[in-house]
Amino acid sequence: MKNESSTSVRPFRGFPAFYWTEVLVQAHESLAMATSMVVQGVLLVFVWILNPGLIGVALVGAVLFSTFQMGARVLNEAAYVRIDHKANDLYLAGPLSAEAYFLGMSAGILTVYLGPVIVVGVLATIVVPLNAAELVLLLGLGAAVWVSAASIGYVFSTAFRDNRAIWAYSSLFFNIFGVLPPVFYPLALFPVALRPVALLMPPSAASSLMQWATGVTALSTGQIALAAGGLVVEAVGLFAFAVYWARRTVRGR
Amino acid sequence: MTDEALWSRDLRKVYRTKGSPEVEALAGVSMNVRRGERVALLGRNGAGKTTFLKIASTLLRPTSGEIRVFGFDIDRTPERARPYIAVVPQEGKPFFHLTPREQVYTYLRARGLTRETAKARTEESLHRMGLTEFADRLSITLSGGQRQRTMVATVIATEAPLLFLDEPTIGMDPFARRSVWSSLRLLTQRGSTILLTTHYLDEAEALSQRLYIVERGRVLVSGTSDDLKRAVGGTLKVLLLRGATRVEQFRSFGECVPDGDSLSVIVAPERLGELMDVAVRNQLTATVGPVTLEEAFLRVVGRSIDEE
Repeated sequence: MKNESSTSVRPFRGFPAFYWTEVLVQAHESLAMATSMVVQGVLLVFVWILNPGLIGVALVGAVLFSTFQMGARVLNEAAYVRIDHKANDLYLAGPLSAEAYFLGMSAGILTVYLGPVIVVGVLATIVVPLNAAELVLLLGLGAAVWVSAASIGYVFSTAFRDNRAIWAYSSLFFNIFGVLPPVFYPLALFPVALRPVALLMPPSAASSLMQWATGVTALSTGQIALAAGGLVVEAVGLFAFAVYWARRTVRGR
Repeated sequence: MTDEALWSRDLRKVYRTKGSPEVEALAGVSMNVRRGERVALLGRNGAGKTTFLKIASTLLRPTSGEIRVFGFDIDRTPERARPYIAVVPQEGKPFFHLTPREQVYTYLRARGLTRETAKARTEESLHRMGLTEFADRLSITLSGGQRQRTMVATVIATEAPLLFLDEPTIGMDPFARRSVWSSLRLLTQRGSTILLTTHYLDEAEALSQRLYIVERGRVLVSGTSDDLKRAVGGTLKVLLLRGATRVEQFRSFGECVPDGDSLSVIVAPERLGELMDVAVRNQLTATVGPVTLEEAFLRVVGRSIDEE
């Protein structure tokens, strides 16, 4: 054989190049980038009007919500390029590994949309204020939320044959995980009976842990274990499942 | 590594969808493509061509049967074959927010080519497909034909050992189609193997060394285009003006098809003189020409439909 590698497709083969492809694709979408913070901005204004004392919680929530949103964008993007462009046929019938395709796409979206989130993160650091340990915790929690959302998004994207059907589900996904639970407001304001559910949802679990770390919300040891343990298990489990699913769905049945 | 680029035996594919009846897309397709060949897969819409291509390119699992790419069993170990293949998917589109230059280059990089090789191949491929002028425009601003050229440029730039092209020239103008043909010929001269589907029978005839006609998931005929023409009774077609009422006098020469008040007769070259005598005796004006692949295709597939 005269070109490329003669070996079989290695795990994560082609990740850097496909990541760069996705960065280029997303970087041309300046309007989408500009509007990516609209919901967070509106919710911050609501919180500011209703209770300015909670703006610190809301700013931290906006950072975590944004990392969730950047992951969730994978749902629309993966479905769009598969259904409309047949790009998965082009890329996956070749030496690029399925997991590199999934992860490259997810990381590319993250990179391009990260700028405005960093700005909100800096604001949060100043307003709350966050110390170095809390900032590291925020980064770790944001990463776990992003991995979970990107994994769920990619797996869900493979279930659709029509892009229009996705719009309803992505809106549901966005609101149920990001807007409704205590991400922009303290866990203490959420109904007691539903708090375990909120502590199991990645964005609200991460927000609750940040509220606990900054002294806004008191959490019991059990609640901390539930939120932190759940988040780690979800991030690792969902990522592993998404990699498995990406490999499995290269071939239709 | 075998000399057979692609080999399949009794390949079957049944689509099962909840609430819908089963669809048997492939009903036992056996095929072999040798390294360096250009082979066309022809058939009506829904005949099974794309299903076969998807299975062969490791994107779909067969229901039963065997299929190998360069000797690798792609049902069991598709990842072994993937480094050797590249695909132009049916109705595939480049990323709208990449330029053709970015599309081809990043694709080659994602396949593991070095920067230098990817850059050189990108420029050569864009030039071959006549895309140099548009190479730095976002694909969203290009016409449908230019986007399709970008897809073909992307895949031929890989120079992969086995290329699958599903209707690669759809929407292209005649000049662009010929650019694709010459690029594909060059690729096979360099050692690549090509399996393509097309509904343009002139393309199949100009480009492929062998062809397979598929109908309802089965191979009806395989061979060269001349083999196919001979299979319909001759390589010449005689059009007899106002001959439609004299069908009986010409039936013994070959297949007769009335066309308005004219009659077309497929005839072997050795019986042409005899047929022309009969035409002259009946004072009919005759025009002789070669049987086209399209005519042969229509007759072969038409016969099969009649038998069904």
